[in-house]
Amino acid sequence: MHGDNGILPIVEVIHWIALGVMGTVYTLRLIWLFKFPGTRDRQLPGEERGSTSIAVPLFSMGNVAMPWIMESTRKNLLFYASFVLFHLGVALGIILAFTNTFTALHQNTWVASLFMILMGMAFLVSIGRVVRRLVSPVLRLISTPDDYFSLLTLTVWFGLGVAAEAHLVGMLRSEIWLVAYLVATSFFLIYVPFSKISHYLYYPFTRYWLGRTLGHRGSMSVSRG
Amino acid sequence: MSSSMPSHKAQKMMELLPQKLNRQVVGSLLACVHCGMCHESCHYALTHPDDPRMTPSYKADQLRKIFKARHDWTGRVFPWWVKATTPMTDEDLEKLKDIAFGTCTNCRRCTFNCPMGVDTATLNRIMRGLLTRVGVMPEGVRVVSKDTWELGNQMGVLKEDYIDTIEWLSEELVDEFDDERAAIPIDKEDADIIYAINPREVKYDPRTITNAATIFYAAGANWTMASWGWDQTNFGLFSGDDELGAATWKHLQETFKNLGGKRLVISECGHGLRSTRCEGPNWAKTDQDFIMESAVITMARYIKEGKIKVDKNRNSQPVTFHDSCNNARSCGFYEEPRELLEMVTTDFREMYPNRTENYCCTGGGGAMSMAEYTPRRLKSAKIKADQIRETGARVVVTSCHNCVDGLSDLIKHYKLDCEVKQLVDLVAEALILPGK
Repeated sequence: MHGDNGILPIVEVIHWIALGVMGTVYTLRLIWLFKFPGTRDRQLPGEERGSTSIAVPLFSMGNVAMPWIMESTRKNLLFYASFVLFHLGVALGIILAFTNTFTALHQNTWVASLFMILMGMAFLVSIGRVVRRLVSPVLRLISTPDDYFSLLTLTVWFGLGVAAEAHLVGMLRSEIWLVAYLVATSFFLIYVPFSKISHYLYYPFTRYWLGRTLGHRGSMSVSRG
Repeated sequence: MSSSMPSHKAQKMMELLPQKLNRQVVGSLLACVHCGMCHESCHYALTHPDDPRMTPSYKADQLRKIFKARHDWTGRVFPWWVKATTPMTDEDLEKLKDIAFGTCTNCRRCTFNCPMGVDTATLNRIMRGLLTRVGVMPEGVRVVSKDTWELGNQMGVLKEDYIDTIEWLSEELVDEFDDERAAIPIDKEDADIIYAINPREVKYDPRTITNAATIFYAAGANWTMASWGWDQTNFGLFSGDDELGAATWKHLQETFKNLGGKRLVISECGHGLRSTRCEGPNWAKTDQDFIMESAVITMARYIKEGKIKVDKNRNSQPVTFHDSCNNARSCGFYEEPRELLEMVTTDFREMYPNRTENYCCTGGGGAMSMAEYTPRRLKSAKIKADQIRETGARVVVTSCHNCVDGLSDLIKHYKLDCEVKQLVDLVAEALILPGK
């Protein structure tokens, strides 16, 4: 557990309250989504490959881990690698936010190194993404203030995450890094459901529905992608 | 009228939006992260590198902005934060028309390349449908839609002209084979096959009907064509008008039921197959209750069952195959044409990329009926022209009438040394007829 600093326990309470808010908003959001009518393809399964089985929708959901399936990732493996690093950083950042009180875990040099290296790489990828969004005319055209803000604040969050981990392992003395990191996390927990970052909430559904439609018609299959 | 109030048409369009919203559509509207991965999948974007408006997510954003402004929490409270906005004037609607109809063929290539599973092509079709409902559409779309509503087919073919043409073709076949059984039956009840065609065939390319009729004759098929409800194409797919789509599909369904056919065979047409085979039952809100198949499957079956004999050496020129977007990406129909090609040609060369990754011929999405966008369309056709050129083929085979027109156009424009044929032409060419 942390020391007796007056701020940190308060920040941790806020952090858990924020998590509750996020869970509530997400629940409401899914209820809202599912109030829209469902659909199904009414035709018989398509040609010889068409299938009503659940295999193709599940395969479609696994798209994120199969860069060879889509031309857009197959031809841009570097971009895909940056995507993986970015999202690994997010995953570790979330784990850090909820395990920082387990000091023994984070004082392990290997664990701390893993967190710092991956979150540090995610930080660099994130900076690269900000630059890409500012430089590319296409991305500038389609980007919203939310897109820029989400990316910039995530960049800061990754940076704070590295510093917070460095504090936990004893490389940085000041607890302010951990406090700042948890405050930033709390902010995200409340902001995310209203922003583009909530895309991961929709991913399983959009991929499932697309896989169901295209699988039924035979356009998408487990064997061919 | 206050300038802060939307025009009547803009208001009406926004009121119609909820009718188009279902879970899958809303998911696609919410899930886009503006990563730009769709950009390189689009033939318009790739051939217009200086125009970022060609990127698919920008096109889908036109609908997304309205959705966010009217339905999404963040967009309703802080519209500027997520660029939520609604069209206010009729000029705004004209701009949307240009994007939805003039910069996208709804080929669905972007859909297949979106990591999030956003069905951008469907969103663009919804935008088309909303605009169409308030009368904002290219003139060609208006004319074709009107013809479909009035005459039951998209090319305004009068029943008398249709019957005349079929009878003329029928007489020629009877003369050629000196056999009454070579005649084209019309409205024959209880036939094994009811053959539905694209109006383009009866109006501009009756050779394909003759070829199909010859194959049916050679196979000894019990078949017929209908005097009404014979158009397997469906402009509702292109205009986004689900009502028109349902009505057109019901013509076919009623004909099939009235004639008591056993199987509806759809002549080679990408959007026809998609509309009839896949989307029609959805638009009509009716479960599919009769068997349908592409004529490609029928022809392949005849060969496999020995009902017709073919000599593939008669098609010895190098051929390549162009996958219709609607066939491949929306119907899963891409192996069957290749199987048939192997049976009737000797020098088949694959085009790359192909199947569900193939590029649009640029004639899809009703583009051939929108002359105002032709220069942009032909510029975007460079990708397809390069694809064809690299195969060295002298014949581009496709299983779609729209693709025939789109490919013919680009072959002329880019001066390619090849011609376009359909599988029915190649099968008829290879057909071994007794005494011939």
